[in-house]
Amino acid sequence: MPPSVGLNIVVLDPAHGGTDLGARGTEGIRESEVVLQFAEQAKRALEGQGFQVLLTRQSNDNPSFDDRSARVNAQRGAIFVSLHIASTGLSGTVRTYVMSDFAPAVEPAGLIPWDRAQAPFLTLSHKLGDLVQAEMSKRFRGSPPTAETAPIRQLRTTAAPAIAIEISSVVVPTRADLERMIPGVADALARGVAAFRPSYVVPGLPGSTAPGGQP
Amino acid sequence: MTPRWQFWGAVILFFLVMGAALYFPSLRRQVDKAKNITEKTAAEARRELLPPAPLNSGDPRLKVKMFWGSHNQDGTLVPVVLELPLSPDPVLRAKQILNTLLAGPIDPEARTLPPDAALLAFYILPDGTGVADFSEGLATGIPSGIQSEQLAVDSITRTLQANVPQVQQLKILVHGQEVDTLAGHLDLTQTFQVSMKEAGSPTPSGVAIITAPLHKAIEKVKGATRK
Repeated sequence: MPPSVGLNIVVLDPAHGGTDLGARGTEGIRESEVVLQFAEQAKRALEGQGFQVLLTRQSNDNPSFDDRSARVNAQRGAIFVSLHIASTGLSGTVRTYVMSDFAPAVEPAGLIPWDRAQAPFLTLSHKLGDLVQAEMSKRFRGSPPTAETAPIRQLRTTAAPAIAIEISSVVVPTRADLERMIPGVADALARGVAAFRPSYVVPGLPGSTAPGGQP
Repeated sequence: MTPRWQFWGAVILFFLVMGAALYFPSLRRQVDKAKNITEKTAAEARRELLPPAPLNSGDPRLKVKMFWGSHNQDGTLVPVVLELPLSPDPVLRAKQILNTLLAGPIDPEARTLPPDAALLAFYILPDGTGVADFSEGLATGIPSGIQSEQLAVDSITRTLQANVPQVQQLKILVHGQEVDTLAGHLDLTQTFQVSMKEAGSPTPSGVAIITAPLHKAIEKVKGATRK
C-alpha cells in the first residue's frame, strides 16, 4: 500500500493558557479561555472536511513554544494553525498572519536548525494564509483580503506550513459578540484549509514537491 | 480556673479574634499600597538616573516624521510631522526621536508604546545595527496581541528609518536582556529591518559607534542597566 501523500493532519494551537491569560477584556473575557472554545469549533469544522485534528492543549495548561511546535514537527503531512484573540483592532475583523521572511539555514548534516524550522515552508505558509484569509474577508467585513506577515515566535520553530489567526478583539461590548464570531471563523478556516489541500504534498516522498512548493 | 475566669477569658479571646479579623484586611491593604509605591518609586528612580538625551534648543530645528497609530484603530500607522531641535550625532538623535515617540501623540488613543515604557540605552554597531534597550514597561504595558505588538515595533522601526538613516536594522532588548517575545507573540530574538539599504554596508564617517559584535554590545547594555 503506497504511503499516504498530502495534507491530512491539522494541528490547532489554542494560544496561551495556565498562568498566561493572554489578552483580557470586557466581561472578564480571557483570551486563553476563548481560544479553547474557538479550537473546539474549528476542530469540528475541519473534521467535517475530512482532516484529522490534533490540539496542542485541551485544558487550561500552557505548553512552551517548543512543545507546541514539537506537536506538529513530529507529524508528516500536517499544517499548524495558532489561534489568538487580539487586544486591539476593529471589532468583528479577523487577520491571518504568516511568519516574516527569514533566510533558511541548513546545518552540515543536512538538518534544519530548530530555531529556523519555518524557513523552508514559508512559500506554502503564505499560500495557506492567503487562502484562509480570503475566506475570512468574505465573512468579516473590514478584514484584510490577504494574509499579513509578522515575526511570530510560535511560528518560527514550526517545520510545517503554519499560520496564526487573530480575531479582534477582547474589547467588545459583550462576550456574546465575540462568541458569535467563532462558528464563522471556524468554518472559514476549514474552507481555507480544504482549498489549500491540493497545494501541499508531503516533502520527501516520491513525486512530492519540496518545502516551499518548489519541485 | 473558676468558671468565672473561664467566662472572662472567652470574652477577651472573642474580642481579640474580632479585632484581628477587622485589622488584618486593613494591614494587608497598607502593605500592598506600600509595595506598589516602592515598585513605582524604583522604576521612576531608574528612569531619572538614566541620561534622558533631552532636546537641546541650541541644535538645529529639523522636521521629523513620527509614526503613531491611526485614529480608526485599524492597525495602521500614520506619519506625523513635527519640528524638533535634533543632535547631528545619530546615537543622540535616535535617543531624542525614540523618547519623543515614547512620549506619545496628543491623542492618547494613537499611542503605539505604553506610557510606562522608557528608553534605557541606545547604541549603533558598525554594521548599522541599532540596539535599543527599553525598560520592562515596554513588555508589561503593551496590549497582548500580534497586531498591537507588531504596531509597536513598526512604529519604532519606521520612525528610525525616517529620521536616523544610519540605523539599518534594530535589536530590541528589555532591561538589558534579550527576551523571547515582546508580550507573548512577536519574536525579539531576531533583528528588525529598518533601512532598505543592504545590511553590513559601511557606517558613515563621524558616527558614534561601538566597535564590538552584537553579543558584546548586549553584555555592555546589561552591565549599564545593572548599574
